[in-house]
Amino acid sequence: MHVWLWFAILALVLWGITGVTQKLSTNSISSERSFLWFCWAMVALSVGVLVFVRPHDWGLRGVVVASAVAGGALNGMGAWTSFRALESGGKASVVISLISLYPLLTVGLAVVLLGERLTTTQLMGALLAIAAAILLSLETPPKAEA
Amino acid sequence: MDEIVQAHKAAVAGKRPVWLLWSLATIVLWGAWGLVSKVASDGASVYMNQLLYTAGLTPLLIFVAWTVGRQSQRDKTVSQRDETAIRRNRRKGAFWAFLTGILGGLGNIAFFVALGKGGEASIVAPVTALFPMVTVLLAVVFLRERLRWTQWTGLALAFAAIYLLSA
Repeated sequence: MHVWLWFAILALVLWGITGVTQKLSTNSISSERSFLWFCWAMVALSVGVLVFVRPHDWGLRGVVVASAVAGGALNGMGAWTSFRALESGGKASVVISLISLYPLLTVGLAVVLLGERLTTTQLMGALLAIAAAILLSLETPPKAEA
Repeated sequence: MDEIVQAHKAAVAGKRPVWLLWSLATIVLWGAWGLVSKVASDGASVYMNQLLYTAGLTPLLIFVAWTVGRQSQRDKTVSQRDETAIRRNRRKGAFWAFLTGILGGLGNIAFFVALGKGGEASIVAPVTALFPMVTVLLAVVFLRERLRWTQWTGLALAFAAIYLLSA
C-alpha cells in the first residue's frame, strides 16, 4: 500500500475519533461554544508547531499561501454552515447525508482543474467511498438498554 | 428523501428551505477545500500548511467568539445555583471540544502529508471522507449505540472502497 494512503487512513481515524469527542462536547455546551474551543485548540496546535517544529519554508509562492489560508477558511466555514443547516430545521440524517457528497465536488474539481486522472478501479472506489460515507452518516437509533 | 423532494418543491414555489441552502454551501466549501489543500500541500511543508490553515480559520474564530460573547451577555440572568452547574458543564464541554480540535488538527497534518506524498486530491478526499466509519465503531463501543443495517452496509462499502482505492 502507498505511504500516502496510510496517512489518509490516519487522518480518517483521527477525524473519526473527533466524531465522538464532538458529540461529548455538544452534550454539555452549544455548538458555537464547542466550535470556538475547537478553533482555540487549532491555534494552540499551531503555536506548538511554531515553537517546537519551527518550520523554515517562509518564502512560499503566493498561490500556495493563498491556497493554504483558503483551506482553513473554507473548512472552518463549511463546519459553520453545516451547523447552520442542522439548526435551520434540516433533519440530521438528511443534512449529513447530503453534505457527505462533498468529495464528489473535490473529485470533479481535481479532474478538471488539476488534470488528475482516475483509473476505473479508483473511480469505483471513490464512488463506493461516497456511498459508504452517506450510509454511515445516517442517524443511529437511541442508546441500547443497559 | 421526502425532505429533499419537499425542499425542491418549496424552492420551485420560491420559498427556498434555509437548511438546503446551508447544506449546499457546505458541499461547495468542503469540496473546494479538498482542491486548495492539494495545491497548498504541493508547495508548502506540512507544518507551514497547518500554520496557514489556522490563519485562514482566524476570522471565523473571531466571529464565533463575538457571537458566543453576545450569547453569554443574554444568559447572565440565571441563579447562582444554576450558574455552578452551567460552569461545570461548560468545563466538561470545553475539554471535549479542545480535544476535538487537537485531534482534528493532527488529522489535518496527516491529510496534508497524504496529499504532499503523492496522494491525489480525487482519491485522498473520498478516503478521508470515510471518517464516520471510525465514529460509528467508537460510538458502538463507548457510547453503546446500536447500528442499523444501513450503517453495517456503509462499513462494508467503506472497507471495499479503501481496498479499491489502494489498488
